[in-house]
Amino acid sequence: MEGVLDFFLDPANWTGALGIPVRLIEHLYISGIAIVAATIVGLPVGLYIGHTGRGANLAINLANIGRAVPSYAILVIILPLSLSLAPVIGYTPEAGLNFLPIVISMSLLAIPPILVNAYAGLRSVDRDLIEAARGMGLRESQILRTIEMPIASPIIIGGFRTATLQVIATATIGAILASGGLGRFIFDGINQGLAGQPSIYAGAILVTALAVGTDFLLSIIQRRLTPRGLRVGSRQIRPWRQAAEVPRGGGEVGPGFV
Amino acid sequence: MRTNRVLTLAFLPIVILAACTSGGGSSPSAVIPTGAPASDAPTDAPSEAPSEAPKATIRIGSDNFYESELMGEIYAQVLEADGYTVERKYKLGSRQERIPTMDAGQVDLVAEYVGSGLGFYDKTKISGDGAANQAALQEVLTPKGITVLGITPGEDTNAFVVRKDTSDTLGLTKMSQLAAVQADLRWGLPADCDTNPLCKGALEEYGITYPPAKRQALGACDVPMAQALQGNAIDVAELCSTQPAIVQFGFVSLEDDLDTQPAENIAPIVRDDYLAKVDAAAFTALLDAASAKMTTEELTRLGVLVAVDQKDIEDVAKDWLTEQGLLP
Repeated sequence: MEGVLDFFLDPANWTGALGIPVRLIEHLYISGIAIVAATIVGLPVGLYIGHTGRGANLAINLANIGRAVPSYAILVIILPLSLSLAPVIGYTPEAGLNFLPIVISMSLLAIPPILVNAYAGLRSVDRDLIEAARGMGLRESQILRTIEMPIASPIIIGGFRTATLQVIATATIGAILASGGLGRFIFDGINQGLAGQPSIYAGAILVTALAVGTDFLLSIIQRRLTPRGLRVGSRQIRPWRQAAEVPRGGGEVGPGFV
Repeated sequence: MRTNRVLTLAFLPIVILAACTSGGGSSPSAVIPTGAPASDAPTDAPSEAPSEAPKATIRIGSDNFYESELMGEIYAQVLEADGYTVERKYKLGSRQERIPTMDAGQVDLVAEYVGSGLGFYDKTKISGDGAANQAALQEVLTPKGITVLGITPGEDTNAFVVRKDTSDTLGLTKMSQLAAVQADLRWGLPADCDTNPLCKGALEEYGITYPPAKRQALGACDVPMAQALQGNAIDVAELCSTQPAIVQFGFVSLEDDLDTQPAENIAPIVRDDYLAKVDAAAFTALLDAASAKMTTEELTRLGVLVAVDQKDIEDVAKDWLTEQGLLP
């Protein structure tokens, strides 16, 4: 293990195209694209089935395939396809090797938590509230935007946290197919026999730190985006705020009653 | 109450883990008794009847690819035909995982490549001479209580390979022709190439500027390396000379005309504590006879049978041993 400290103290490991900062950025880039792609696919579907309750079983089971099939298998299975399709869809063959397979397999891994949490979040909203909103004449899209989504936001963002954590931790396997990212330290270490041990440990430590660190940041965002009344720990809406709002509203309505 | 519940939750995985480790711990101890009766036997056996030495159960392992398993299976069947009981523990992983498994005494015999096997410990000692690699590997393994038996005449060495169309358009058949066209080529090289004298060193010997401008880090001899070459993501790939993909996709292996690649003959490596339980000389003679018949051509041919034609390793090994007159 002392070799691991030496690995981190060696300035050569912190500079250049093979250094930790570049690998970190590559890792975030691959993970980020996968999460965005998974959001574009998973979130609308999750919101739709959550709002309407239609097709939920089918959508969730389909999405879960992405979680059930090992990412490593997906990576290797889609490689031949990706290599032959890359030039057709405007990528270089190299991207078909070291970019598309890892991004696709990570997107498939990220879709289920995003989709399922969006569905579960919307379903958890009190039905009476939605009926009341309909009764007041709100359109379905308004109900979704102004009632369901804000109330479900902690659960929806929880889905992103799970997806991000899994993707950052798993994106390491892209190194098998010549991708960059922190997985390089692990796979290159494996290739180097005994001398590679410190690199393997260092890679694992870096990935863990990145995954946990990102999750922590997302937990803060999750708290920020949660409506104040729903936050765990805050017992209710702060009295001073209510007190400040009531007279204003009362003042407008007031004269009619006098 | 709430903290109690949280604590219980926190301890649950630890309890499960503990249960697993104690379960795992009992299995090796369950394995030992099978060998134990045999271990007292040698004390009287050699003095009375050296020809009828006890045949303790042998655990044969392999790395996680067909050729290692095939060689393991060949040795297994040879031993079985002589009355040994064989426990097969194939696909242990890469060398990185298999070596600790063997060091810990979980397997007794593995088929090893003398070049790469030596390179795991010290890349600077590898040479182009199989016997020299065998001797150097023995030197490294002696302190670990492992003996290297006789090597095969055949070998599975590293080869730089191009697609047929690249070979045709650029007129490539030999490594020494690469330097002239190096700027046009995209290279698939193992990740450790920078620190590997057999990779970086060899390429530089051929006059190739290292690192090449366009390169992809892929595992040498891995399936993705072959697929990347086939799929036109790279133009030169480092594969193994007996790799079935070369035949399958019609790749052209470039001749290593400066002899830069190490000798990669195959030899069974056996734990000394196992050899002490049997008639070591007879055991060695048995396996050496099988190794002696394995040429590069045979290795390639059997590889295609297993990896391309999807034949059962067990059948391929049996047929080959019968053809060679090693099995009735």
